[in-house]
Amino acid sequence: MNLEAKNITVSYGGNVVLDDATHTFREGRITVVLGPNGCGKTTLIKALVKKFAHTDKLAYIPQEIYGNVGLTVRETVALGRYNKARFLTDETEEDRKHIDSALELMELSDKQHRIYDTLSGGEKQRAMAARAVCQDAEWFIMDEPSSNLDIVHTKHILDTAVKLVKEQGKSFIIVLHDINDAARYGDEFVLMKEGRIIKVCGALDTELLTMTYGTSFGEVKTSSGKTIFYAT
Amino acid sequence: MLICVMAVSLCLGSSGISLEDVIEYFTGGKELLPQTTLTIIGRIRIPRTLTAALVGGALASVGCIMQGVFRNPMADPSVLGISSGAALGAAVAIVTGLNGVILFEAFTGAYIGAVIGALITWLMVFTIAAHNGHYDTSSTLLAGIAISSIMSALITVLMTLHLEQMERVYMWMLGTFSASTTDKTKLLAVAAAIFMPVLIIIAPRLDVLKLGNEAALTLGVNPKRTLAIALGACSALLAVCVANSGIIGFVGLIIPHIVSFFGVTRMRRRLALSFLTGAVFMVVCDTVCKTVVAPGELAIGAVTSLIGAPYFLILLMKSRIRSGKERSSV
Repeated sequence: MNLEAKNITVSYGGNVVLDDATHTFREGRITVVLGPNGCGKTTLIKALVKKFAHTDKLAYIPQEIYGNVGLTVRETVALGRYNKARFLTDETEEDRKHIDSALELMELSDKQHRIYDTLSGGEKQRAMAARAVCQDAEWFIMDEPSSNLDIVHTKHILDTAVKLVKEQGKSFIIVLHDINDAARYGDEFVLMKEGRIIKVCGALDTELLTMTYGTSFGEVKTSSGKTIFYAT
Repeated sequence: MLICVMAVSLCLGSSGISLEDVIEYFTGGKELLPQTTLTIIGRIRIPRTLTAALVGGALASVGCIMQGVFRNPMADPSVLGISSGAALGAAVAIVTGLNGVILFEAFTGAYIGAVIGALITWLMVFTIAAHNGHYDTSSTLLAGIAISSIMSALITVLMTLHLEQMERVYMWMLGTFSASTTDKTKLLAVAAAIFMPVLIIIAPRLDVLKLGNEAALTLGVNPKRTLAIALGACSALLAVCVANSGIIGFVGLIIPHIVSFFGVTRMRRRLALSFLTGAVFMVVCDTVCKTVVAPGELAIGAVTSLIGAPYFLILLMKSRIRSGKERSSV
């Protein structure tokens, strides 16, 4: 299932924060949304969630969670298996399997009985990722998954995304700040500026980055042939 | 445990009635008891103990929901402003002399005033919170707190203008179960029977809401509707409680924390346990109220604080020590 955004406009108190956004997000790949702060990236993906939530095929991983959760890590992850239809019965055997493997995937098995709120920022984000994984969705929409993660766990989460795309045919939309992570993991790039989608492309270059961020970029080639971008 | 404390509470009061009398009352030996004993047990003690249990349970449940919905451990029933609104309604009825009006031979003017006051406050809080379509937890919380302040200020003005009625308004604001009657207890029981199941049903959705509105949507939970149902049911329960027995603070704040100390985390269990714990706690406090200075009475709000706060502090210190140990061993 492709996710089609068509002429989405969102405004808060008279300010247009997302202006006539149209793009078809294609399944089976990682689409990265890039752009400076306040360009409408989060608004765009939240609008997508609102539009497609009813299809039951989406999992959303927010940037941060506000306030006390008060549940154990395992219970928080298990919310991904929430099902209104099962009113009184607790977790089924299948639920337990999904929860266990999601906890293991995000390296949280040993912390599953801790209270969520006592975790570090990075662990919280991994718990949210685990919750999304056990939701067994087709689409994963992530808002800045690396904001609280160190370099090892960022790599782990993005590698996991690649694995889920290749092995299980899942699809991802990821908002990223790190342009080198974006270049490395993205199959398609949606570039945004001042509430508009200004360009959709299959590869990044210094010219596109300069246009998006309004500051000049340079690049270097490493000995292994990788390109590293930097703001000059 | 609830049954035990209720039995003890039935036996204690300003006039002495023995445990045997109470047992006889319930096991069908009514004709053996003198008329006055029958009246005291049937018309005074039973409604009062049931009211205390129901109000305690309901207040604790509402507190439990508030802390979950607002994801804030400091939230309690008073944050919606309903209590202050009801108090203002009752105060208006008392100072204008409408308290003498009695409807259906059971409900005094102060009672009716409290229900109307709660209703008006509820409408105000939710209209303001829903303004511009930003119907979310933080705007509801802020609207509730602001309106609560306005109501409290108006009560103070009213009391200053009518000094001669001040004592009655004041007593009402401290809360009491001494005016419990069978009819009022029935109304309370009906409200609890309607709204507690509603809360129990939506409790797991409140857990899902903690993930944020967008994530909740993807799990099939409608945040606006869930919030409206939860807060609506809480407001209705609260209005009836406050109309019944005035403002009794502290219970809604503290009971959910006591439940947390025992490691209960998921909303549905927390709710059930809060209701039971709140009921036990309130019956115990009310029993203390009516016995310690008999034939006089202590204000229930003072007793809940005097008994609850030290217990709460002990639990707090214990949990600090425990989590400190955990931390040092990691």
